[in-house]
Amino acid sequence: MKMIIGGAYQGKIRCACEYFGFKESEMVNGSICDFEEVFAARCIKSYHKLISRLLAEGVDPVAFTEKLCEANKDVVIIMDEIGCGIVPVEKAERLRREATGRCGCIIAEKSDTVIRVICGIPSFIKGAPPQV
Amino acid sequence: MVIGMITLVTGGTRCGKAKYAESVLDSFEGRKYCIATMGHSGDEAGGVIARHYMLCKDKNFIALNQPRDIGASRIEEGCGVILECLDLLCLNEMYLGADSAADRIIGGIKKLAEKAAELVIVTNEVGSDGINYSHDTMNFIRQVAELNSRIAVFADNVIECVYGIPIVRKGVLR
Repeated sequence: MKMIIGGAYQGKIRCACEYFGFKESEMVNGSICDFEEVFAARCIKSYHKLISRLLAEGVDPVAFTEKLCEANKDVVIIMDEIGCGIVPVEKAERLRREATGRCGCIIAEKSDTVIRVICGIPSFIKGAPPQV
Repeated sequence: MVIGMITLVTGGTRCGKAKYAESVLDSFEGRKYCIATMGHSGDEAGGVIARHYMLCKDKNFIALNQPRDIGASRIEEGCGVILECLDLLCLNEMYLGADSAADRIIGGIKKLAEKAAELVIVTNEVGSDGINYSHDTMNFIRQVAELNSRIAVFADNVIECVYGIPIVRKGVLR
């Protein structure tokens, strides 16, 4: 399992394409996909959006993420970092940030490689670049 | 006077800062304190404080709660301390005088470091959501950033936790 994280629009998708050979069109999109699609996906983008949608549907995103990590061990998961701000006033938003943090920690722990992208520059905070 | 090892731990929400802070003191053999900085207002405050005391007891830490004047925390010489968390302390101090909160807190942190053999300070990154807040909230963000930067200067270690992965920004991983 591999994980690519970073702020919005920092170049995470391009990183996935360059390092792992994906086309963006073949990535499962966490913003709009059916939940079950992720279990057979090779690459999922916007996983943080999927977590929001799971919460809105009353599905436990932590249990869902644990199940995903168990069922799809070779997937590449792309998600934003969203926890670096003022604690939200709305409880639902606080829960979303907390759930996203917890799910991100689970995925990072299960991944052999975690890449953080900023200004288009990847850094391997876990694991190493693929051997050419 | 001790001036112990100081580690600053930062990162986003639920990204492993507390877990890392505890791991720094895993093999510490002296008395260990966890100092929370919770105010006493709000519906959730009582429950959160009670939970803090319960968790500390489970993990063999002495629980303290010091919402302001952190240097007055009752700790013994040569102890290990986790301070959690710096940004909430900043918020509480700002009620007493918004523009001098950072100075007061830095003074208090240095007093703690004179007693503690190991001081682990948990803070937060609160300035990266790109949102324009009110003047007071922007002042809070500025003061937390100032505190983090000033402590980073004299801290031995500065660690950023990213989804559970600790990244060294200064010093070493413990």
